[in-house]
Amino acid sequence: MSYNGGAVIAMTGKECVAIACDLRLGIQNQTIATDYRKVFRVHDKLFVGLSGLATDMQTLSQRFAFRHNLYKLREERNMKPTTFANLVSHMLYERRFGPYYAEPVIAGLDENNQPYITGMDLIGAMAPASDFVVAGSSSESLFGVCESFWKPDMDAETLFETLGQCILTGVNRDCLAGWGAAIYIITPTGITAKTLKGRQD
Amino acid sequence: MGESAYSFSLTTFSPSGKLVQIEYALNAVSQGATSLGIKAKNGVVLATEKKTPSPLVDESTVQKIVNITDNIGFVYSGMGGDFRVLVRRARRTAQAYYDVYKEAIPVSQLVREVAAVMQEFTQSGGVRPFGVSLLVAGNDGLGHGPQLYQVDPSGTYFAWKASAIGKNMVNAKAFLEKRYDASVELDDAVHTALLTLKEGFDGELTKEKVEVAVVGDDGQFTVLSQDRVQDYLAETD
Amino acid sequence: MSSSYGDINVSGGIGLDSESAPFNLELARRNSMIERQGMKLPRYLKTGTTICGVVYANGVVLGADTRSTNGDTVADKNCEKIHYIAPNIYCCGAGTAADTEATTNMVASALNMHRYGTNGRTSRVITALTMLKSHLFKYQGNVSAALVLGGFDINGPHLFTVYPHGSSDSLPYATMGSGSLAAMSIFEAGYKENMTKEEAMKLVADAIKSGVFNDLGSGSNVDLCIITKEGKEYLRNYECPNPRPYASQSFSFAKGTTPVLRSTMLTLKDVVVEEGADAMEVGA
Repeated sequence: MSYNGGAVIAMTGKECVAIACDLRLGIQNQTIATDYRKVFRVHDKLFVGLSGLATDMQTLSQRFAFRHNLYKLREERNMKPTTFANLVSHMLYERRFGPYYAEPVIAGLDENNQPYITGMDLIGAMAPASDFVVAGSSSESLFGVCESFWKPDMDAETLFETLGQCILTGVNRDCLAGWGAAIYIITPTGITAKTLKGRQD
Repeated sequence: MGESAYSFSLTTFSPSGKLVQIEYALNAVSQGATSLGIKAKNGVVLATEKKTPSPLVDESTVQKIVNITDNIGFVYSGMGGDFRVLVRRARRTAQAYYDVYKEAIPVSQLVREVAAVMQEFTQSGGVRPFGVSLLVAGNDGLGHGPQLYQVDPSGTYFAWKASAIGKNMVNAKAFLEKRYDASVELDDAVHTALLTLKEGFDGELTKEKVEVAVVGDDGQFTVLSQDRVQDYLAETD
Repeated sequence: MSSSYGDINVSGGIGLDSESAPFNLELARRNSMIERQGMKLPRYLKTGTTICGVVYANGVVLGADTRSTNGDTVADKNCEKIHYIAPNIYCCGAGTAADTEATTNMVASALNMHRYGTNGRTSRVITALTMLKSHLFKYQGNVSAALVLGGFDINGPHLFTVYPHGSSDSLPYATMGSGSLAAMSIFEAGYKENMTKEEAMKLVADAIKSGVFNDLGSGSNVDLCIITKEGKEYLRNYECPNPRPYASQSFSFAKGTTPVLRSTMLTLKDVVVEEGADAMEVGA
């Protein structure tokens, strides 16, 4: 997971959920890009973040989009976050002995606008959480900041500030992640996408 | 299918543009025992005649209405063996859907999948069309309410308010067209179903000679016990 | 002939076939190549785990801790390790989290199909055991699931342990996982034949707590599942002996603390579907 570097966090609030990623893409210690987004929109109330090997992140995000588009055409509805999470888990476990090198983080609002987040390992073991999930090259330090900064029932604005601090602080000591961050805040009425300023070294 | 000398489709167009194999399949259906389904305000009822070829057959072992999932059931008119093939396929499809999404398959999706199998058998080599029509009843709690579909050997399917298939389908449908009322409760729909069957039945319709299943608001598709059927029969007299 | 969900194939066949589609090995060669070049394989989620079960007078009690780990990091503080197999059968899982989940799901699915094919007759624990161990044996221990299987069927209560290579034991009391020694010490000291439900629940909860406090791979809470002739009682977080000892309210960031470069907003209410509008002109 340290080949390309990267960090992803999802966090819950009260009737809102947010997901953030850093913006670096590297090949080992050489930085290739500083505007590389690791969070993908599934639909307006469901996002998936990926960390790991960039080629597998891209392939997976395309296969997720493919499966969701097909589902939408067939069933004329969007996937629920839990449904999507189970699909992702299934797709990953199918390759139990030749896995994609990527760990997904799923964040969305369900049909009652309640937040749902889950992390997963590279072979699809789900770890749904009520507070936050992290993935990436600096997951230990991300766990640390989230564990201290997160609190229950944050509104969208507080959630943004908290998650912003978590992602920026969390990658501060990670050589392989950083160069700013992107955050998506999902509420029942809309999505706000913000690009954060981070250190450039 | 395989690459054998017979791997061409037996279902081919006649010069007039008909697929007579499919028409023959429909004939097989219309020789089968009558089955019908009625959609009520709060559920769907399926009912079918249970006619045995001989009085020596043990009727208690014959089951014509089956569960595919907890909330979806099938009944058929036509050939029993063909029906079981479709039932097995349908159950596998439903389970495969659940295994991927951890969510019950919507009725419309199951119907589409089963219809696709039936279509495939009208175009594939070395096979014949299914000699059954299906009535599919279910309630998936996705805001569509109770649902009733009919699937034919050609693979076409429609959603119905009430429908009948099999030997007495023409009369039964005419009867249902007169009697149908969308605002009726499930209990009354069961009565209507039994009355419709009675109309075209040779001899007395007893609890041994009919099978009834319902799916209500609770989303449980249940084949009624003979005692329950007896109660409903008594009420229709 | 097959119907399909996207790229998942659903093949026809007999009802008893418990095997799901074989694993896709497309990426295995590439992965071993990049591993040879020095890239580390990301770690799988494990359940370090204490799981156990006992048979008592009229049933079985299963127990599990709720910690899942990723290396030395606690990945999930409250995960579920007692998996559903059938209404009358449950199974505790230790080992690679994805394997325990997928293996128990596969058997649950196969038993569900089997019940449909056998007029809804209650599944037997021995059937679940056979399906589990034949799957695990086939993969020679590479599907790393260590299980405690318990249930109640026509032949009464049953308790089995299943090892990742596919061997199994039938036992009156059993433990598995990295905390199995800690849990077994409690069982060896306290097990009696024909315990009451309360005695059995206490013994299992004590055994799990022994793992929670003495084994680093186990932690957090105690889950119990009691299965009897009458049905099951799933007691999620039956005991929570490790509450967070400090408040999480101490930080709050004023609006504008986080430096924003750009911000865009999509208001979902802006999307209006116009009924009966003219179709968009397409093409020449």
